[in-house]
Amino acid sequence: MQNRQNDIRPPQWSLLLLRLFVREHFLEEIEGDMEEVFMDDLDQYSIKKAKWKYVLGVFKLMRPSLTRLLSGSQKLNYLGMIQHNLLITLRGFKRHKTSFFINLIGLSTGLAASLLIFLWVNDERSVDTFHEKNDQLYWVFANFQLPNSITTWNYTSGLMGKSMKQDFPEVEEAVTIGNTGFFKPKGIVSNGESNFELDGLFASKNFFDILTYPLLIGNQENILEDNESIVLSESMAMAMFGNLESALGATVEWENQFFNKTFIISGIFQSPPKNATNQFDAVINYDLLVQTDQWAAEWNGGYAQNFLVLRKGTDIEEFNAKIENYMDDKINNDRFTLFVQPYAKNYLYGEYDNGVQVGGRIENVRLFTIIAIFILLIACINFMNLSTAQASKKMKEVGVKKAIGANKGSLIFQFLVESILLASLAVIVAIILVNVLLPQFNEITSKELEINIIDFILPLIGITLITGFLAGSYPAFYLSGFKPVAVLKGKISNLRGEEWIRKGLVITQFVLSIVFIIGVITINRQIEFTQSKDLGYNRENIVTFARKGQINENAQVMLAELQKIPGIESIANMAGDFLWGEDSGSGYSWDPSSKDDDNHLFKSPKIGYNIIETLGIEVIEGRSFSKEFMDDKTKVIINESAVKLMGIKEPIGTILDYGSGGTREIIGVVKDFQYGSMHQQIEPLLFRFREEGRNFVVKIQTGTEAATLQQIEDIYTQFHPKYDFNPTYLQDDYKALYSTESKVAILANYMAIIAILVSCLGLFGLAAFTAERRSKEIGIRKILGASHLVIMKILTGSFTKTVLISVLFALPLGYILANNWLNNFAYTIQLEWWIFALAGLTALLIAWITVSFQTFKAALVNPVECLRNE
Amino acid sequence: MKKTKLGEFEELVLMTVVVLQADAYGVEIKRELEDRLNETLSVGSIQSALKRMEEKGFLTSEFGEASQKRGGKRKRIYQATPHAHKVLQDMKDVRSQLWAAMPNIVTG
Repeated sequence: MQNRQNDIRPPQWSLLLLRLFVREHFLEEIEGDMEEVFMDDLDQYSIKKAKWKYVLGVFKLMRPSLTRLLSGSQKLNYLGMIQHNLLITLRGFKRHKTSFFINLIGLSTGLAASLLIFLWVNDERSVDTFHEKNDQLYWVFANFQLPNSITTWNYTSGLMGKSMKQDFPEVEEAVTIGNTGFFKPKGIVSNGESNFELDGLFASKNFFDILTYPLLIGNQENILEDNESIVLSESMAMAMFGNLESALGATVEWENQFFNKTFIISGIFQSPPKNATNQFDAVINYDLLVQTDQWAAEWNGGYAQNFLVLRKGTDIEEFNAKIENYMDDKINNDRFTLFVQPYAKNYLYGEYDNGVQVGGRIENVRLFTIIAIFILLIACINFMNLSTAQASKKMKEVGVKKAIGANKGSLIFQFLVESILLASLAVIVAIILVNVLLPQFNEITSKELEINIIDFILPLIGITLITGFLAGSYPAFYLSGFKPVAVLKGKISNLRGEEWIRKGLVITQFVLSIVFIIGVITINRQIEFTQSKDLGYNRENIVTFARKGQINENAQVMLAELQKIPGIESIANMAGDFLWGEDSGSGYSWDPSSKDDDNHLFKSPKIGYNIIETLGIEVIEGRSFSKEFMDDKTKVIINESAVKLMGIKEPIGTILDYGSGGTREIIGVVKDFQYGSMHQQIEPLLFRFREEGRNFVVKIQTGTEAATLQQIEDIYTQFHPKYDFNPTYLQDDYKALYSTESKVAILANYMAIIAILVSCLGLFGLAAFTAERRSKEIGIRKILGASHLVIMKILTGSFTKTVLISVLFALPLGYILANNWLNNFAYTIQLEWWIFALAGLTALLIAWITVSFQTFKAALVNPVECLRNE
Repeated sequence: MKKTKLGEFEELVLMTVVVLQADAYGVEIKRELEDRLNETLSVGSIQSALKRMEEKGFLTSEFGEASQKRGGKRKRIYQATPHAHKVLQDMKDVRSQLWAAMPNIVTG
């Protein structure tokens, strides 16, 4: 028994804890006491209980009379110390006004920029996460195998949700909504006299039970019970009825591309929050979609988006393996692979390449997070640099303090207090700046961000402390390490090291700035390139507008009316959107002898007569669609890329097999042009023929724009009295394709300017300091006959070297980053040498300008001034 | 009495120190008091009472012998100062006078 006891030790960590906080003076006896009690307890209780009692005992030892004080055993006047430190800090600010303001401006600008980015990143990350069951909510995706690639769809069959709920125990609930890409009812609702344009959503009955769009009025149980019920958003109900109460039970008429029908308002929901990707004003039963289109309730077809609530603790990988081949039994086709993805994740991680997740918006989020960190880093470096530079001025203070007994700890404390105080001031200024700039920032990012100080109070304190600590740590530890005797004698021990660190910091700063410059030039050049590149068709003076309302209205009647307008040079109609590159189809084959090459995918817009002519697309062989030839669905026109893909010598007259759809005859070949945005390469394209397209493309005679548009509007309203006419210029729409990039570009421009400004501020301060430190040298040199120019050369020289070294580091880094970004585009600018030269030169020039102010001032000083006090 | 600044618990600990004589060290005091009061005390409470009283001048202390049971650590033996004896005596006097002055009803 005795032996056993000797082997059992009290828990080591709590022993360590005890040694950490109990006063050294008392430690031996208390440790002994604790051990004795432990031994006694071991006799009485189990080992576990004895140990537990020991731990408890240790915590009970935490009493003021037994614990050690934070700084040795004497009691210090803490309040007095802090007061003293604050006073010294404030005096320091007052005495060194220039560096104080440089630090304050630099830090607060940097902080403001990072705060804005932080707000933006925070908002991006919050998108779609508002659903109560967010952590259980998954979205069913499908990978579809094409001959040479895989495309990923976020839509699946309308039967998927219900069926999966039956077949997989992991699925707690399933919601099905109409595919928001193609089957989102849009149209005019009318309530008696007034008309409102409405964006709707087909949804399964349990929609409001599972997704968090809170109902304000209505019974969750049966709100979408029948096909006559409609649930409106709060804002729409308010707009239509002025209050919510009279809206309930009222009837509205809704005309859209799917139906023209009367509904009874069965409930009102709170409008989707700003950070929801799915924005809609009304919800109706999914069965209505089935009524208009039977395929909506078949396994073939991607009419729906299905969301699953999976049971807590479901292993997603296992689940994905289980559902992988679920479609194989449902349809006679094994090309589908199903998988689920967290619902909210789709916003940030929405891009798939060949069935593999490759990123999405998250890349911009990452990019800007890095930019924010860099900017903050640059600002912190400034602070470190300037404080280190001023070390010599503070050395006497440090020496005296140490000589009269201050220890290293208290000096570190003092310097940290100084930097944290400055950081706090900077944070306050930054918050003011953010408040001032937020409206502009929102405009650039098209967001509605707000800063709510109370929500951010903890992170802000965190940022203040971290920034203060980061910025103050080096000077604090460096300055506190001086040997008092050496300092008071005037011997500064490690000036060499200081010089190196300062240079290193400036280099880091300038590397970052130059990388920013390179990035900004690249981004701006690429945007310009996308706007000016010859796309193979004409964008000048082309106006497009779409017909809304019932889908079965004939476009030809309106087209005939419009053609009478004299100001229209050319007019045509098509289905799908030209710029988004809409409509592709597969299932074409042209070589009956080979089984392998069926089912090729083509971009296949459905166009009416005259599109090719209106847009100025060049026909290089054969002819365009024409009324004289009575063209119909069996005729197609292809582009050069398609000819190349098919490998046919004489395309005109070639017959394509279209499976059960019959055959198609090629009647013409057009020159390659950019269909869709420039993110995509020019792909094999096949024009199908349709007369009833709802998108109109009009070329207007130059000079008659206003009058012609007015005439078009008149005719438009004749056909669509309820709808607003909102035509857009193709040129503008094209620009809008790159709105994400443009936003990134604008933001990046601003951030780069801030980064460069902050860097320059630092350099400015440093130059001032150098000039001051070498003032005696300058004085002597001048007396000995040095000219102003020579002195400026001497002073600028070292900075030039530093910047040149930064350029060396920055160029390869900038090249890699810029190249990476450009890889997002199929067609890009070349990264030419002059971009880098320009970035380097700009940095050098900015550095010179910044430094020359100070050096010039120093060079002009009368030598008597700086030599007198000796 | 107020001047002595001796709390009730401190008084008990102090008296135990006097009772235990040469055995008056942390754990022993704890055991003795636990027996008499019939309740569990922590090392911390005893130790902090001892330190406080030492600071106030009621106790002096010196290291005693080490023992195996204490992991080789020495005991600190406490001794009451003459001042403490006097304060204890004063308190006893005050109390007994009060008891004497109490009517019989209370004692029942």
